[in-house]
Amino acid sequence: MAVETIPVTTYAEEELRSFLRKNELSLTTAEARKVAELIGRDPTLTELHVFNIEWSEHCSYKSSRHLLKKHLPTQGSKVIQGPEEDAGIVELGTIDGEKYGIVFAHESHNHPSQIVPYEGAATGIGGITRDVLCMGAKVIATADPLRFGNPYGKNKNRVRYIANAVVDGIAGYGNPLGVANLAGDISFNDSFDDNCLVNVVCLGLVKEKDVIHSKAPKDAEGFDIIVVGKATDASGFGGAAFASVILDDEQEQSNKSAVQVPDPFLKNMLFRASYAVFEKARNKGITLGFKDMGAGGIMTSVAEMCESGGYGAEIDLSKVHVSVPGLPAHVIAAAETQERFTWVSPKSFTPEILKSYNEEFELPCVAEGACARVVGKVTKARDFVMTHNGEVVCHAPIDAVTSGICYDREVKKPQRRFAEPDLAEPADYQQAILAVLHHPNVASRAKVYKHYDTEVQGLAIIRPGEADAGVQAPIPGKKHGIALSVDANPLYTRIDPYMGAVNAVAEAMRNVACVGAVPYAMTDCLNYGNPEDPFAMHDFVEGLKGIGDAARNLYLKGTTEPVPFVSGNVSFYNESAKGKAIDPSPIIACLGVLADYSKAITMQFKGKGNILYLLGERKDELGGSAYYQTLGELGAKIPIIEFTKERKRLYAVIDAIDARLLASCHDISDGGMVTTVAEMAIGGEADGRIGAEIDLSFSSLRADKALFSESSGFVVEVSPDDEHALLSLVEMQGASPIRLGVTKGSSLRIIKRGDVIADITLEGMKQAWATGLAEALQ
Amino acid sequence: MKKHRIAVICFPGTNCEDETMSALAAGGLAAELVRWNQPERLSGMEGAVIAGGWSYEDRIRAGVIAARDPIVAQLRSMADAGKPVLGICNGAQVLIEAGIVPLETQDAAFALAPNRNPFVAGYYCTWVCLRKAGKNGCFTALVDEVIAIPIAHGEGRFVSSEKGLAESLLKKGQVAFEYCDKEGNVAHGFPVNPNGSMANIAALTNEAGNAMAIMPHPERASFVRQLPSKEKGNFDAWGSAAPAQAIFSSMKQYLDQGCR
Repeated sequence: MAVETIPVTTYAEEELRSFLRKNELSLTTAEARKVAELIGRDPTLTELHVFNIEWSEHCSYKSSRHLLKKHLPTQGSKVIQGPEEDAGIVELGTIDGEKYGIVFAHESHNHPSQIVPYEGAATGIGGITRDVLCMGAKVIATADPLRFGNPYGKNKNRVRYIANAVVDGIAGYGNPLGVANLAGDISFNDSFDDNCLVNVVCLGLVKEKDVIHSKAPKDAEGFDIIVVGKATDASGFGGAAFASVILDDEQEQSNKSAVQVPDPFLKNMLFRASYAVFEKARNKGITLGFKDMGAGGIMTSVAEMCESGGYGAEIDLSKVHVSVPGLPAHVIAAAETQERFTWVSPKSFTPEILKSYNEEFELPCVAEGACARVVGKVTKARDFVMTHNGEVVCHAPIDAVTSGICYDREVKKPQRRFAEPDLAEPADYQQAILAVLHHPNVASRAKVYKHYDTEVQGLAIIRPGEADAGVQAPIPGKKHGIALSVDANPLYTRIDPYMGAVNAVAEAMRNVACVGAVPYAMTDCLNYGNPEDPFAMHDFVEGLKGIGDAARNLYLKGTTEPVPFVSGNVSFYNESAKGKAIDPSPIIACLGVLADYSKAITMQFKGKGNILYLLGERKDELGGSAYYQTLGELGAKIPIIEFTKERKRLYAVIDAIDARLLASCHDISDGGMVTTVAEMAIGGEADGRIGAEIDLSFSSLRADKALFSESSGFVVEVSPDDEHALLSLVEMQGASPIRLGVTKGSSLRIIKRGDVIADITLEGMKQAWATGLAEALQ
Repeated sequence: MKKHRIAVICFPGTNCEDETMSALAAGGLAAELVRWNQPERLSGMEGAVIAGGWSYEDRIRAGVIAARDPIVAQLRSMADAGKPVLGICNGAQVLIEAGIVPLETQDAAFALAPNRNPFVAGYYCTWVCLRKAGKNGCFTALVDEVIAIPIAHGEGRFVSSEKGLAESLLKKGQVAFEYCDKEGNVAHGFPVNPNGSMANIAALTNEAGNAMAIMPHPERASFVRQLPSKEKGNFDAWGSAAPAQAIFSSMKQYLDQGCR
């Protein structure tokens, strides 16, 4: 029996437009007609939904794909898997004859988190951990870069509500799942009032030989297609399309229904059952295909897996386990119900998969309606066929379904003017410094990360707050360490979308270097405004150029290769219906590797009488700085990264830590050098007992500029016994160390030309720094 | 000598099984994972640890539903027979809800209530110090007076409606560990007491001392590498045992001595 088709070829323009709108299809009329052209006839409603999702910005990267390819380095000697699949894989090292990889993925869940913050953030963690699991990996860590509106601005109540609910959502999902939080960052400003950013990063551990690919394996004709997990419902229907439009208050209700419902408890069981399947498949030498069901649900997952394996697929939507009867075919096919995966398995192994989920881990008893079921098979014919109640609801060439479309968007340079403020020198330096330490973009993050389980799985070496990057020992009993950091300063990119992006890469690398790890790979989540707006597109292209240039010029240590981007995500349409775009936000995650984790160091001072050195001269670069923010200014001159100097400093710090010459190390970022030194004294737990005396005579800048400039650099602590060795190492690397002061007493004393310009007690600094975020979130 | 076989029990929602297995192995014990639906596998086991995490979504109250699972009846028999039974975090909540700890009755004498914490509401993860309060026993014989250990829970506040029960358990040596400061002082109030637990109780045992419910996570503080950086300095090698591992080596010693 034939299913009704939609006469897109004969509809008048206005008729077609209204049909598309009524059916919540965000295809343009031209795109709808292109569907008919591709499949050689008028499409069914299900087919329109298929293409609607596959051609959404979220799935097809239609405005960005060609640009990503042009600007980002993605390959290198440490790359096991580049960005083609659900997650990238970076080589950790060969241990006992086996090559290990770290799976690395990065996504956004911005719009859902703005509308329904708890669920939006929770399902963000849910999605990214699935991406990592389905590479065959043990999921070991997450990180959360967050951007919220101004907690003291005109939307402060909503901003605080969203920020708190997002943090609760991350905790409420990640903690039960049992994946440790390893890093994160938070930044607040007005541009995020109507559109918060919730990015999520996830790491996994896998042996190279055990990697499972998200595609049908070789000789897969006739293999079973298995859907596993939660019973499909209508939740999240249209989620991918929703991620690809601007949030509109009037559509708030239908937007809410596009957000998925998280179930971390079921996911916990799915993970464990999947680990059991991995083990069975390893023991029997079976090659499987495994893919997360994310954007576009069953149909995207199945179509992409079979297409990339060189096959077609036939699935019967009536066989999919659903939570409510009577769901239309296109909803079953495209709903983004959480906690589901697709397996492609040889028929002989299928019973083993079903047994793990349905019997050993008793999914049907743990969550109502959850199970694993065979729903179709891999076909030689390169068609994507879906039936429902005996009717063919979709029959399209599979490569047409997955190949997407591409738009070369217009790019236009906006005229923006920024100026440096003319500020008087602060009369009271103590007050100025305490105001910066107390600022919500600088203050202690303990209020947030203490809500996350940082200890689960027992792998933590350095936890959030202790240093600039978190460190884990991913393989118990082995000395290999991994470090993770996430970064981007939205005000830098507001002022200069190119150099701001360069800074994001450089700072992520500096953070990883501060614990002694070598930056091995990066991921990027590019959060921008509307790509149909040529100005927003300009910011996007500039951002891409910036991160690409930084990756190519800050080489993988010991080579002249770029530090590769192994995975990433683009999130457009981040603006409110009022047309206000967010600050361009290329958020960078950097993964570092330590040959011996016992060498990793933290930022806190270790002893009195040690010497402090500054790496990186101070320049008049306070644009976007925390200091200017405390004064209500933005400024114009953001830090300029000089690649050669930046590289030398990075390598000097890494080598000095490897030689065990540093007692502590902290990079210079938000709040400038004085904040760096203050945080080293305060310590992550705000329990430091060692002060410092620093002398600004090395700098010709006015004292406030020297103290608060965020020019790239590090402050390091070295014991007098190691000072000589450190200086020769640093000079050999070509970095010029500046003697800054000594650790002593229980206050921070700042001297300029023999005068004490500030002497702030540790207690005073702790009080300001420890309460700044808590107050902003109250 | 053949290693003692210890079951690591997992309920739907358990998430600390890996670190629990590692810590038991390092303590010289042969740990085997046992799912809630495999009660038959407990025969032949010499002891059991209920690993932390969640169970049955912690519906109603953490541990309530799991406490009624058939496998818990077998754990009760093991405890009655003098075998070591340890519940960590959610496992502690299960042992308390089952009444196996502290009074060996079918009813719970204590409950684990939502944290009271002025800094972070709900789930709270941090490092604390514990002071050994009870007599030297199955899980404490080899443990130092004060140990560093992490907590990670939202419902970890020991409460009882029975007046004077906490004090009497303390007298009888059934309060195995109390929250204390770095110097070992049992100071009341936050942050030393991270969750508002009655009498700073962090762990309780049954009367015989062979069943213990502990809210903090000794399995995540069993190796020097796992300690916060500040604590690591007190030790030579990062790979070696950290103080909390003594809870598992005490368990082994107890088994070596024939559960006496």
